[in-house]
Amino acid sequence: MDAIRIHGAVATKVKGMESKMLNDDDYINLLNAKSITECARYLKEKTSYGRFLADVDVETVQRGALEGHIKENIIYNIDKIIHYYSGSYKEFINTFFAKYEIEDLKDLAREVYKKGKIENYEDNVFVGKYSKAEPSKILDAKSVRDIIIALKDTAFGKYTIPLLDDNRGENLFRFEMTLDMAYYSILQKEWDKLSPADQETIRNVFGTIGDVLNIQWIYRGKKFYNIEPQLLLNYTINLYNRLNFRKIKELCYQSSLSQFLDKARETRYGFLFKNDETIDIYMDRRMHRYIYYYLQKIDRNTNMNIINVVAYILLLEFEARDIISIIEIIRYDVPEDEGKKYLIKNIH
Amino acid sequence: MAVERMKTVGIVGNITDMDKICRTIVLNGSMHMLNALTEINSNYFKLSASEENIEAIEESNRLVPYNVGKDYGKDEQIIKALNEIFDFKPSKDTGSIGIDYDYQKLINAVEEEYGAVKELWDEIEKKNKLVEEKKNYIKNLSYMKDINMDISPLLNLKYLRLRLFIISRENFGRLKGNYENVPSLVLKIATKDDNVIVMSVAPQYFDEEIERLFATLNYQELKLPAGYTGTAQEIIEKLTGEIKNILNEIKDLKDLVQKRRGDVSPTIKKAYSALELEKKVELVKREAAMGKRLFFLFGYVPKSKVKRLQKELWDYFGSNIILVIDDAPAREMAKSPPTKFKNSWIIRPFEALIRMYGLPSYNEIDPTVFFGLSYMFLFGAMFGDLGQGFVILLGGLYLTYKKKRVNLGGVLSRLGGSSMIFGLLYGSVFGNEHLIPALFIRPMANINTMLILAIGLGVILMTISFLYSLVNNWKRRNIEEGIFGREGLVGFLFFLTLIFTVVNYFYNLIEIPLAVPIIIMAVLLLLNVFKEPISNLIIGSNRLYKESVVDYYTEAGFGVIETLLSVLSNTISFIRVGAFALNHAGLYLAFETMAEMINSGIGGTLILILGNIVIIGLEGLIVFIQGLRLEYYELFSRYYSGDGVEYAPVRLNN
Repeated sequence: MDAIRIHGAVATKVKGMESKMLNDDDYINLLNAKSITECARYLKEKTSYGRFLADVDVETVQRGALEGHIKENIIYNIDKIIHYYSGSYKEFINTFFAKYEIEDLKDLAREVYKKGKIENYEDNVFVGKYSKAEPSKILDAKSVRDIIIALKDTAFGKYTIPLLDDNRGENLFRFEMTLDMAYYSILQKEWDKLSPADQETIRNVFGTIGDVLNIQWIYRGKKFYNIEPQLLLNYTINLYNRLNFRKIKELCYQSSLSQFLDKARETRYGFLFKNDETIDIYMDRRMHRYIYYYLQKIDRNTNMNIINVVAYILLLEFEARDIISIIEIIRYDVPEDEGKKYLIKNIH
Repeated sequence: MAVERMKTVGIVGNITDMDKICRTIVLNGSMHMLNALTEINSNYFKLSASEENIEAIEESNRLVPYNVGKDYGKDEQIIKALNEIFDFKPSKDTGSIGIDYDYQKLINAVEEEYGAVKELWDEIEKKNKLVEEKKNYIKNLSYMKDINMDISPLLNLKYLRLRLFIISRENFGRLKGNYENVPSLVLKIATKDDNVIVMSVAPQYFDEEIERLFATLNYQELKLPAGYTGTAQEIIEKLTGEIKNILNEIKDLKDLVQKRRGDVSPTIKKAYSALELEKKVELVKREAAMGKRLFFLFGYVPKSKVKRLQKELWDYFGSNIILVIDDAPAREMAKSPPTKFKNSWIIRPFEALIRMYGLPSYNEIDPTVFFGLSYMFLFGAMFGDLGQGFVILLGGLYLTYKKKRVNLGGVLSRLGGSSMIFGLLYGSVFGNEHLIPALFIRPMANINTMLILAIGLGVILMTISFLYSLVNNWKRRNIEEGIFGREGLVGFLFFLTLIFTVVNYFYNLIEIPLAVPIIIMAVLLLLNVFKEPISNLIIGSNRLYKESVVDYYTEAGFGVIETLLSVLSNTISFIRVGAFALNHAGLYLAFETMAEMINSGIGGTLILILGNIVIIGLEGLIVFIQGLRLEYYELFSRYYSGDGVEYAPVRLNN
């Protein structure tokens, strides 16, 4: 009964919102586009993204700006959902803004680290959405440290202040890692306030996401950066489903990459490491696609649960990622059949 | 008792005098600036072709905007800092500086003083920082209070390093899960909110590794003081003593600063006044037009203030200045003369309610008098009670004098007063109708009379608003609306005929066949329908219609229906005045009945007190809103446009 009170209205709403997502035909039409202009025009005239492209001149639109408008769709829909919730549920949905804002902040930090200033920010539409930081302050940054200072009195300040320690200097890597960890900490704090049934499904889904992210992190840390095991372990996310802390630790302490791969292939997530040649190219896609179908399955089998909304938002995120991939596919002239392989959604 | 008359004032002066002239204008404080370039290019500005005007006329053909725009940010910062150091309250007495001063000289003096005092101030800041640092040490050491030994050896180890740091509970969990691989002793010594305070001891050999490891846990080191011996508690005491000494030193330094206070006070105050004045002068200059040797300024000045401004300017600049003073013409909206209310104190607070709707435009009668009086009347009639009115009056006075909410308080106290008068007329004190006699009528005993009187009141108020509308249209010389419009003469006659017909029907005042007034009304409605072509014929305009004929008559047709409906509904609307008067008595009756049912003296009294609170709070608010509704909707829509511009002269302290 309580679940219906909490989720009844929003479940119906979300079903309606799902129907506005792109279908296979849309994907194919977008992939068939010859130029970014054509792609933008299709989005503007034929899809629900048109709302955000109304004032955009498709002839001259830049890739960054277009990506920003595509991400606005996520803000728009999350804002809509937030209206239907109150109290702790509202706060929980709000953490998605934290997630996307952190991605944007990382993006900006990388830019400022490389160039000493921020020039391209049109696609970073989430800045300030969760933290309530003033976007102008962050965009004025001349160094990563400036961004950290700008975040000082915001919701992220608690996590980023230790980075200001004078002894340690500026470090992009640590900034990114700290923010990522902050997100999972915020997320868990908020979901602790949900109803037990909701908590259970959420723990399951995010546990699985955590598993996949952890195993990917350990793999990359070992292969590309040769990070020491204890550091690898400290930067894992404490969200576990099938790979608990003990197993993660074991993976971290494998002394060589091949030993790690042997162990990893024994786990449920062995599919990520299927074929030596394509591991790195398709890892992201395999990971996302796994989560994508996992979410769809859970969504179908669960009713009146927060997971229906969470699945919708994450699928929306995947859709945005796919559109951005398609834009890149068009931009770099990847053949359509080849391009399809980089998309999260499986297009036949 | 109306909107103040305005004059346009044009000033032409030498650029060398510009600063002083602008200062005079600001200090005078009555000029509402207009952009000089637009003004000169419009047709309103004319200089008579006399000898002394020749140069001005010549220059007026090649003018440029003023764009030197000075930045006072730095000066402001310095003066603000000095005010802070010496603890000066920014003085409001800024007008006394006059216009003869050299701004740059004043600022230079202030800068010099700032340089002298800044050294001392920096010293104080430095010491303050030191205090903060030591306080921080004390906080960090307090986590180690339980270690009952001299901790200095721990802080000065040769081969090991002791660290005190804070990490989140979550990250501490990670550290704990991997103890066996961490090359350090780790001890949790306290928890604070979501964080854990940890002490670690590790060989210095591992410094780098430990550093990296803890960095991944996002740790924040808690610094400990070097060079002290003793237990944590003893060191804390030592630090506390040191802080006390430093605070004393700070106090001495501050005394030193304060010694200069008396000497520098006049300089700083003067510079502050000059700065405030210069900032306003900049606003005046921004509207100026610059020639080669002359500059031009324009603005609106209330008629009553023109003489003073003229005298001040002439006294100082004499023949070096040309003043062009003209009557303010009515002009298109944005540039039309600004509105300045001019009302007696009785109705002045109601200006706020008018402002809420919109300011009267310059060529419109100020509705405040009618609004204020009728609103007081309506409120009193709906909420007539000697006692409750007195409470509202007190509330209003409290807001006015204690809370400085002059407008709201003023409105409330006047409404309260009106309510008290009607309380006497109705014979009602705190709802009770037996204590005093009714001087006029008891609403509950004369329900029909009350309702009819209310409609009568509506007719009177509507008549007055028609008259206002006629005057406003006359001022605008608007024949179409003024004579044939719904709110003009035709509408007014229609309204009177309709009222007369209804009254005559019920009371048979004169014998007249019903057809006569109906024919009159039909004619009036037809006149209203053809208002545009007829008025265009009268003015002799060569076009009868501004838009397409079909559109015009469709609109006019619906206009007839609206006229019929609105005249009736607007009049009937006033019945609420009577209804609320009844309602007011009725609500009290309900509480009185409850009080009797309780059957206990104290309980009954409590109910009555509660009832009065509810009536004053709830019904008072409703009546307040209903009255406003009658004013805004039924009356304002008839005669008031409210699209004026507020009079905002450039002056100090506003």
